[in-house]
Amino acid sequence: MICCKECLDLLYDYLEGDLDQETTKSLEEHFQDCPPCISFLNTYKSTTKICRNTLNQVEIPEAIRETLLKVLKDHKVDN
Amino acid sequence: MSFSQPKKDKEIEESLVREFQGGNLKAYDKIAEIYQKKIYGLSFNLTRNQMDAQDVTQEVLLTLFRKIKMFQGKSAFSSWVYRITLNTSYMKLRSKKKEPKISIDELMPSFNGAGFQQEKIQDWSENTESLMFNTETRDVINKAVDLLPEKEKVVFLLRDVEGLSTEKTGEILDLTVPAVKSRLHRARLFLRKKLSYYFEEFSSRKAEK
Repeated sequence: MICCKECLDLLYDYLEGDLDQETTKSLEEHFQDCPPCISFLNTYKSTTKICRNTLNQVEIPEAIRETLLKVLKDHKVDN
Repeated sequence: MSFSQPKKDKEIEESLVREFQGGNLKAYDKIAEIYQKKIYGLSFNLTRNQMDAQDVTQEVLLTLFRKIKMFQGKSAFSSWVYRITLNTSYMKLRSKKKEPKISIDELMPSFNGAGFQQEKIQDWSENTESLMFNTETRDVINKAVDLLPEKEKVVFLLRDVEGLSTEKTGEILDLTVPAVKSRLHRARLFLRKKLSYYFEEFSSRKAEK
């Protein structure tokens, strides 16, 4: 049976679906017997999701958008 | 989850680039409109400062204007834009005093001699949904990302936040696919650990009530 270390090393490829059938099977067998690794898997997945959702919220403030438009317009006139 | 640019968008973009290279300024406006938010978002996440992100966005848009003839189409146009955005952001960051970064290795999982996890792992994933819209949670997440070492941070931003594929991220950063995967995995492990401190404390606060 694989140990926790191997399990966490394989986590990335497991979530990407890049592992072969046999390795996937032994990893899932490990999960069945190891609640800490299940918790690790769940929190690893959550981490990616909440970080993406938070950092994707960046919007350009309206004042900055207007300044950018003006700069680009002036620049085009100069050229 | 990876995002690949829909074929139709890519074709529209390629024809806009060709038109602009031929001197059509209206095509440039459209390109600037398409990329403005992406450039601003990525540079803001790298510099964490509105003024810097504004400067970077402005400079990148002007660089696209001036150097469009240098774009030869060897890689995707979007990869070229991302590369210019990263370089300009790094120039900006280099001009500022850096805070010492913590070593990423200190936050990697630890195991005993038999390869089993040494720490107690709590499952806080259930708590995250209700806390997502909380300002404190967002601050904790932003700070955790901020603490990531540069090499891991940029892979994380392109791959997980911008949603680019592993291959495209490798193309932009000139890294092999295994190198992208390994840096992203380390970034996620680091962030998971950082966020664990916060969410575990939240769980115990809730349990005490």
